[in-house]
Amino acid sequence: MTDTPTARELAEAMRLAMLRADPKLSRFDPLPRIISHDDFSRGHCGWSQLVGNYEDDLDTMLPGYAQHTSAMLSTLGHWDAGSHGGYDSSYALKIATRPKTGAQNVAIKRLTFRKRCPIRFEAYFTFKPEATELKLSETDVRSVGFLFDLQGGDSDGDAERVMPHLRFLNALDGEHVQKWQFKRETTTFKPIGATDKTLSHYHLAPDGWEDVPHGAQRLCYNEIPTKINWTYLRFDFDLASMQALSFQCNDRVFDMSGFDSIRIPAMKNLWCMLNFAFFAEADTNKRAFLYVDSVCVSGDF
Amino acid sequence: MLPENTTAIVARNETWTGEAATEPHEAGWAREAVIFVRALKQPTGPQPKARVEISPDGMHWLAEGSEFDMPTGKDAIACARVSNFGNWLRVAADFPGGSHSTVLVTIHLKA
Repeated sequence: MTDTPTARELAEAMRLAMLRADPKLSRFDPLPRIISHDDFSRGHCGWSQLVGNYEDDLDTMLPGYAQHTSAMLSTLGHWDAGSHGGYDSSYALKIATRPKTGAQNVAIKRLTFRKRCPIRFEAYFTFKPEATELKLSETDVRSVGFLFDLQGGDSDGDAERVMPHLRFLNALDGEHVQKWQFKRETTTFKPIGATDKTLSHYHLAPDGWEDVPHGAQRLCYNEIPTKINWTYLRFDFDLASMQALSFQCNDRVFDMSGFDSIRIPAMKNLWCMLNFAFFAEADTNKRAFLYVDSVCVSGDF
Repeated sequence: MLPENTTAIVARNETWTGEAATEPHEAGWAREAVIFVRALKQPTGPQPKARVEISPDGMHWLAEGSEFDMPTGKDAIACARVSNFGNWLRVAADFPGGSHSTVLVTIHLKA
C-alpha cells in the first residue's frame, strides 16, 4: 500500500520539479519564496554603490566609504583571451577596488523584509586581480566577501541592528592564507556633520576578523590571472533569532555554531532593513576584482 | 524589455592634480555614454582640457578624441558625449603644477 501524499507534500514536490527543470534556477536551492534572483543579464538588478553617510559636505564621509565606486556589468574581458563571459550569459557584476594595498569596494542591494523568517543567500562568484603582470598573482587579492545589514521591525521588542559578515581571506601581506572569517566588531560610531542626525561607522575596517572554525578552504583559482572558475556559496540566516544557520562554499559546509554578527543598538530609521552587500579588497597595489555571476535570495514565508 | 540605462559615479570628491584619471569603467553593453565632470569646490589655478580615453583591456589607454574644458567655477559642469567606445572608458586630465580641482565624475550609459 502506498501513502497518499498530502497537499503540502504535492506542492513541495511540484515546486522542486519546477525549480530543477528551470536552467536559470536549477543550480540554486532556494527556500519556498524567491525574494530576488539576479543574473546580471538584465542589468545591475539593484546592486548599487555603497555610498558613505555625509552631512553638508562630502568631506565628512569616512575614508573607507569615500574610496568606493560604482559596480559594473562585465564580460570579464581579458587582454590575452578576450571575454570570458558569465556562467550562462555574457555578463557578471564586477566590483573593482582601486590599485592600492588595502583598497576596498562594495556593492549593495537594499530591501526590507515582511516577515522575520529564515532566509537563504546563494551566489556564484569568482575573483582575480587586474592582469597587469604575466604572473599567477594568486596573492594579490586580499579578500572577497559578503555581508547583510539587518534590523528588526519598529514594533519588535528585541530590535537591534545586526550585520553578519563573512569573507574569504585569500591573502594577507603576501601570504596565501585561504580561509573564511567572520566579524563581530565595527568601529566606534562617529557623528557626521554638525547635527546629531547622521552617524557613521566603518564595519569593513581591517581589525576584528575571526576565523570560522575549520574554515580553511582552497578554492579553484586556475593557472593564470585571466582564467576564472565560478564558485558557489550559500549562507542561511534566521531573521527571527538573528542567528546564522548554515554556510556552504562549493563542497564544504562550515560549522556556524561559533559565528556571530556585528550587533549594535537599533537605529531610528532602519526598520525591517534587509540589505545584502558584496565586497573586495586588494592585498597589493593592483586592482582586485570580485565578479558575481548570479545571486538568489529566498525566504521561508 | 526596456534597454539598460545606468548612472555610474566613478569619482566623487576626488582632488585631481598632476596626471589625473578616473578608475577604468567597463561598459561594453552600452551604445552611448554621456560623461559629466562637476567641480565640487572652486578650482585652483589654470584648468586643463579633459579627454575621454578608451582601452582594449582596461590597462592601456589612448585618447578617444573627445575633449572638453575642465569647469572653472564651483558647481560648474562640463560634459562629453561618446559612442563606439568598445568596452572601457575613463576620463583623464593633466593639471599644470599648482593647479587642482575637486571633482564629481559621472558616466551615464545607455544600451
